[in-house]
Amino acid sequence: MRLIGQIYMTLSAIVLALPIMVVCGAALNSGRSMFFPPREPTLARFGEFFISEPVWTAALWNSVIVASGAATLAVLMAWPIAYLLWSTGSPLSKVLAGLGSLPFAVPPIVIGVGLGFFWVFTGGLGEVWAGVISHAILLMALPLVTISVGLQSIDRSHLDAAATMGATEEVAFRTVVLPQTLPYTISGFFFVLVLSFNEFIVIFFVSASSYATVTLQIFNSLRNGYTPTMAVAAITFLTVSILVFSAVARWGDLPRLMGADQSRK
Amino acid sequence: MTTVESLGAPVERGPAPVLPIKRILLALLTAVVVVFCVVPFLLVLAISFGRKVEGAAWVWDFTFANYQRFFVGTLWPDEVTFLYLQQLGYSFYFAVIASILAVLTALPFTLLLTRLKRSAQAVWLVFIMASLSLSEVFIVMGWDILLSNNSGLPKLFKETGLTQFLKDIGWFQTLRDWGLANPRNVKFKTSDFATVLTMSYLVWPYAVILLYPALSRLDPSLSEAARTMGAGRWTVTRTVTLPSIRLPLLGTMLLLFVFLLGTYVTITVFAAPNKHTAAVAIYSNIRGANLNAPFGAAQAIMLLISASVCLYLGHLMNRRAEAG
Repeated sequence: MRLIGQIYMTLSAIVLALPIMVVCGAALNSGRSMFFPPREPTLARFGEFFISEPVWTAALWNSVIVASGAATLAVLMAWPIAYLLWSTGSPLSKVLAGLGSLPFAVPPIVIGVGLGFFWVFTGGLGEVWAGVISHAILLMALPLVTISVGLQSIDRSHLDAAATMGATEEVAFRTVVLPQTLPYTISGFFFVLVLSFNEFIVIFFVSASSYATVTLQIFNSLRNGYTPTMAVAAITFLTVSILVFSAVARWGDLPRLMGADQSRK
Repeated sequence: MTTVESLGAPVERGPAPVLPIKRILLALLTAVVVVFCVVPFLLVLAISFGRKVEGAAWVWDFTFANYQRFFVGTLWPDEVTFLYLQQLGYSFYFAVIASILAVLTALPFTLLLTRLKRSAQAVWLVFIMASLSLSEVFIVMGWDILLSNNSGLPKLFKETGLTQFLKDIGWFQTLRDWGLANPRNVKFKTSDFATVLTMSYLVWPYAVILLYPALSRLDPSLSEAARTMGAGRWTVTRTVTLPSIRLPLLGTMLLLFVFLLGTYVTITVFAAPNKHTAAVAIYSNIRGANLNAPFGAAQAIMLLISASVCLYLGHLMNRRAEAG
């Protein structure tokens, strides 16, 4: 029975890794077309992606701007909402948290269409900054959740102790709340960063073909057939994701963030 | 905070002069959330009542023509077409099968995962999260290479003689009947099989992540007790484990289903053109060739309503299950 379990997990891992492996292997091709297994393996495609091909370097740069901007903005918007929800639990804070999670809860194409219209009227359609805000809106739900988990993990007795020793709310916030929730805030930031990097449909609608992120560029290139350079993009993104989540697992508590039971180790 | 409240209860938090700043910030925050999270949806709703102008864009209006077209076609009552309902139907068809498949295969995996050591769990979660965040375009690209006719599986079938073997034992004809083969070899593009496979692959990591909290809170002592009382492993799973996770199971399925309703890239690449879904139609109306934003908006609203109805039904079922 134990053996069957191990076989099942291994099999799942293989199927999960299969398309990723194929894409990664294809990146090593030296020719213009994709073969698997790769023919005449070379690393020249990496140079093209990061340095020499303006189409890809521009797309990579756009992706970096959108993802880091959106992650910062999402955390900045989520913090006060999560804090309000935790400290007051007022009806307004619940409504705000609900509305803030709404864009993430509906089918992505609907919020993509909505934000597309929104930017037509506000003059942001096809602007990179509008892409940043759109992704922040879409993914705000993630830091909202991680920060809330972090706030709930604060031992209220620490706050009481701080209050007894004469700390004002502001001081207690700076010395107790902020440090204890920092890992969760950073986790939220990175979740948005990674998901924004990989998001397609919303940026598809709000970019209106006037700029391309890496995922958009890949979709555009799908029609002309694959080139190994696209696979390099996939490898890069996958590496970033693995690094980020490893960091979250190392310095944060990934199982806890994912909602594991605390009492069992 | 109203005046009555501040009179009635002693003020505990912070000195009074800070309050106006807090209130301004709160108002600002509320405004931002409403403008960005609510207005886009209202715009879609408003534009869905608009009217397309031939040779131009569209104008504001209040007409139900777009909705009529969605349900029975433009020429109703002289002619009736269910083309657009059918597209929504295909959205449901692919999303339902793919989400059920994903949850059923992710369930045993997650159950096994929660029984590992905490450190091993973290390693698996990193792997799951990395594949979860991987963009739909990369996943489609990977499966496309794996399933397309000149590389990947069909070539593997041919070179290993599996195609010939299938022909010899007569299963090849069955595959052709299912649309999974052309006269020479097996083919997976375009097919329902490839679409459903890619879609359930897409949400599989989500299924694991969503089931993980519920499964990791399962009390092992319950099934251990049942085991000591002589129940077989399968009996324990059926009578103890499954009933206690029925709700998260159903909830996960619904969330994945709603997420999959809007799949775009997978459908455009793997589904046959006559089985394209509402999401594809929405895109071609709003940004693509058709340029009929009001009708695209109406389709988006119908998709949103269907998703909400499904979520609400799931919620009701949960409530009933808890009560009964």
